[in-house]
Amino acid sequence: MVAVTFTWGEFFQQVVFGLAIGAVYASLALALVLIFRTTHVLNFAQGEMAMFTTFIAWSLITNHGFSFWPAFFVTIGIAFLLGAGVERIVIRRFEGGSHLTMILVTIGLFVIFNGGAAWIWSPEQKDFPSPFSAEPYSVGGVAIARQHVGILVVTLISVTVLWAFFRFTKAGLGMRAAAIGPEPSRLLGVRVPWMYAVGWGLAAALGAISGIMVAPELFLTPTMMQVVLIYAFVAAVLGGIESPVGAVVGGLLLGLGTTLVSRYVDFVSSELELPFAFAILVLVLIVRPAGLFGRVTVRRV
Amino acid sequence: MKKLVVLAAALTAVLAVALPGALAGPAANPGLTATSIKIGTTMPLSGAASLYAPIATGMRVYFSHINARRAAGDRKRGVYGRQIVFKVEDDAYNPVQTAQQTRKLVEQDKVFALVGGLGTEQQLAVRQYLNQKKVPQIYVSTGASTWGRDHKTYPWTIGWQTDYVSEGIAYGNYVRANLPNAKVAVLYQNDDYGKDYLYGFRSRAGRFIVATETYEAGTTSVSSQVARLRASGADTFLILAIPTPTIGALVTAYRLGWKPNLLVNSVSATDTFLGLAQASAGSADAVNGIVTTAYLKDVASPRYANDAQVKFYKTLMARYAPSANVNNGLYFYGMAKAADFVQALYRAGKAPTRASLMRAVENLTYKSPWLLPGAQIITKPSSAFPIRFQRLTRFNNGSFTEFGSLQRIR
Amino acid sequence: MRIAGRAGGYAALLVAIAVLPLFLGTFRTTQLTYVGAFAIALIGLNILTGHAGQISLGHGAFMALGAYTTAILSVNHGVNDLLTIPLGGIVAGLAGFLFGFPALRLAGVYLALATFGLAIVVPSLAKRFDEFTGGTAGILLDLPTSPIGGLTPERWLYYLTWAIAAVLFLCAILFLRGKTGRALRAIRENELAAVSSGVSLARYKTLAFGVSAFYAGIAGSIYAILSFIVNPGAFPIDLSILLLVGLVIGGVGSMLGVLGGAAFVEFVPLEAGNVPAKVIDALQRVGLPVSDLDPTTAGVPSVVYGIILLLVIALAPQGVAGLARRLGAATRRFYSRLIPTNKPGTPSRREA
Repeated sequence: MVAVTFTWGEFFQQVVFGLAIGAVYASLALALVLIFRTTHVLNFAQGEMAMFTTFIAWSLITNHGFSFWPAFFVTIGIAFLLGAGVERIVIRRFEGGSHLTMILVTIGLFVIFNGGAAWIWSPEQKDFPSPFSAEPYSVGGVAIARQHVGILVVTLISVTVLWAFFRFTKAGLGMRAAAIGPEPSRLLGVRVPWMYAVGWGLAAALGAISGIMVAPELFLTPTMMQVVLIYAFVAAVLGGIESPVGAVVGGLLLGLGTTLVSRYVDFVSSELELPFAFAILVLVLIVRPAGLFGRVTVRRV
Repeated sequence: MKKLVVLAAALTAVLAVALPGALAGPAANPGLTATSIKIGTTMPLSGAASLYAPIATGMRVYFSHINARRAAGDRKRGVYGRQIVFKVEDDAYNPVQTAQQTRKLVEQDKVFALVGGLGTEQQLAVRQYLNQKKVPQIYVSTGASTWGRDHKTYPWTIGWQTDYVSEGIAYGNYVRANLPNAKVAVLYQNDDYGKDYLYGFRSRAGRFIVATETYEAGTTSVSSQVARLRASGADTFLILAIPTPTIGALVTAYRLGWKPNLLVNSVSATDTFLGLAQASAGSADAVNGIVTTAYLKDVASPRYANDAQVKFYKTLMARYAPSANVNNGLYFYGMAKAADFVQALYRAGKAPTRASLMRAVENLTYKSPWLLPGAQIITKPSSAFPIRFQRLTRFNNGSFTEFGSLQRIR
Repeated sequence: MRIAGRAGGYAALLVAIAVLPLFLGTFRTTQLTYVGAFAIALIGLNILTGHAGQISLGHGAFMALGAYTTAILSVNHGVNDLLTIPLGGIVAGLAGFLFGFPALRLAGVYLALATFGLAIVVPSLAKRFDEFTGGTAGILLDLPTSPIGGLTPERWLYYLTWAIAAVLFLCAILFLRGKTGRALRAIRENELAAVSSGVSLARYKTLAFGVSAFYAGIAGSIYAILSFIVNPGAFPIDLSILLLVGLVIGGVGSMLGVLGGAAFVEFVPLEAGNVPAKVIDALQRVGLPVSDLDPTTAGVPSVVYGIILLLVIALAPQGVAGLARRLGAATRRFYSRLIPTNKPGTPSRREA
């Protein structure tokens, strides 16, 4: 191997790429956090639902003459209905099942959405249009793709809206209450089953945003979100699984960390990137079992 | 205890279902009857590699055509009146599943031969087994060089397409001849696929390489690697990757304002994928001038729009797989492979055996209309590389143009 | 009476397993050998997840360790592959024991994700250290042969695997019956209570991880011999997930249910691709106008597999074991109605 010398220019370029891929992880991690927070389900199908709805958006644009933004918002609506529908039709049947049962149910959904997309739209890569100009910004010789900025900005908007929703709206408070104490909430008049459905719907909508934003970068295929999902899990847990802000910070740190380490630490070659991410995860969990932004539940043993 | 009874009952039920099949004795010529010949393949129909499933569809379409048409000679449908029964089993690109599905095809379904199984590791996993059982493993869908090189050791196994090493050599020769002062940066997939290409390139032009980077097959992004390669000061970028990372690498290079000479391996340098890269980069400059190799006619190129074989291909696709994207060259690839198999099957005789089929495959030499103009299939027992002609081709403004002479690689 | 019946049941099961290959072709025999290997892995997973309550999404990694141990020792060092089976178990068991320490600090979803990480890390490490593991191409093992004249290799491996499974099954029952089993279940029910009644978490959790991984390692060794290939692609994350699926399908905590779970793990993913063609065939035979489906279409096997998975969980939430229990209760009710003098069936006991 030939050593490439260190330059600040390339370093900043790597930082930009790290943050860009981190924003991708963050956007899906946000959806994971939302579902976990409202229903305590670790949704393995989150990435595949995002991919599936992105295919719907693609179909709207390619086959039904929609332009980007109308397709974007229509898809978010469809995704909400899809998510809520999945909760009402499938998840509900397994309510009260163990953690394990729920994990398997979401794995079943994972497989169905993945196979369904390959079946309906074929596994070939699709060209997904970007709403942003392809010409990158250039800051002091460092290229910053508008698409990357777009992913980051949309993710930040999502997390802000989410925070406001949980903080200030009645539905948001209801959802939080339903998650923390279903029984007392029911007594207080919160329609708990509907709160779960809305939680799934919102998560699916967030997933759709994530899918649509990253599709121009990763190219739309049925497996587009699978590796992203793994990193998003790590990001969500790093941030403390229930914290939207934590998910975003976790995602960005993860993207930055893996990019810089695999670039500048020779031992961490490309096949060790994912193991490295998990090593970070396990270390963080050992030091801070509730993640960076999670509340530590005291457990005396 | 009731549970045990239920279990025992279940086992008995399995027994009852399996019994009839088990009692049928071994046929002299497995998979062959007077009116049919059964062949099989393993293909990833699920998971990331299901991208390659169109190969199986292309093969199926061609066999459907052969089964439906009347042959020019004997006016019979199928091959000598035998319908081709084509079984496709999903191996999810997992070699253990390939091993299981292959055994199922051989031991349970009793196929006559395995044709076109996909994946280097996957087909390697069953090569030993199939050779021990003397079951033909024909025209595997992988470009590893071992299929032709080790044909003497594994006489029941043969490859089909030009191998990755030879393709790498072609890029090496191109650099030596046309870019004598090149500084080459290489991005390659971190497995035998990428390393085979690199090995071929190195053997001809190793001294031109100034930087190499690897990526993992399932990765999300190769941006970081491209930025590093660019920082090496290279002026030529050789990409030896599967399609999605290739597109990512091309787009990133363009965004970074890096405009090297581009060499891309043929698996990823197709109209479809380069079109995706161009759309994503927002400029034809990201892909213009890419040099790659070709050994089959290009279904998407306007140059072949009036080619009789390409037209025939499109007619068959419209008839048997109307919803498929005909510009995806993998269907053409599958069909070309199926056509060669049918040729070999005819030459194996009216009463073929597994051995006579292998002899026919080992000696198949004919002008296949699916190959580039002027090229032909040449196979000898001592040199088992059916496709041995390739040509350099350059992408410009939306389509490929072949240039240079037709190269015979072996 | 009950115990005698139980012993009779086990005997009937053993006899059924013993004679089954005599009626089966070589491929089905091999498939049932895979079922045996998966059953061993599931017994181990059952100890960890079913009894100690620790979710593992990474048991494929322990299988990989066993498989690589067998491949490296038998191919590169000429060790008899039979001897490598226990060694595969020991290597995996040690790794599991060590993994138990960080796992001590983790619970619930966090543990699930950490074990998930294990499933991702081990194949990557196998790629990284390719001088031992053969990298992505992996290691090809010799085709199995039978040391006993007159016994085909398929049947030899079948009996070998099921004999190992039977022994390990007994060991697991004995292991779970005593003090250790009680301690593990106490941890599952309530860690705080378990600790306050003197159960050492560190000791029992790491022990559960170690024993469980030992079983997976044995299964992995057999898996390698059966498949005659070991490489990173043979141990995808899907395998770990599939094992967990098998556990739930069999019935968490049930030792006999693992047989049903193992059968699911072996048969459903391999056969899912053929289901649509068969359904269409059947529908067309009854005369329903069903359009032809291209069997080479990508995605179809996954959809079928996913639907089967959801249906099984919905119809048999307690797994095969629970289903059998319900069937058993139903037949008892049926008989007690037929023979009114009989006492109504006592509720079935909890399975060990």
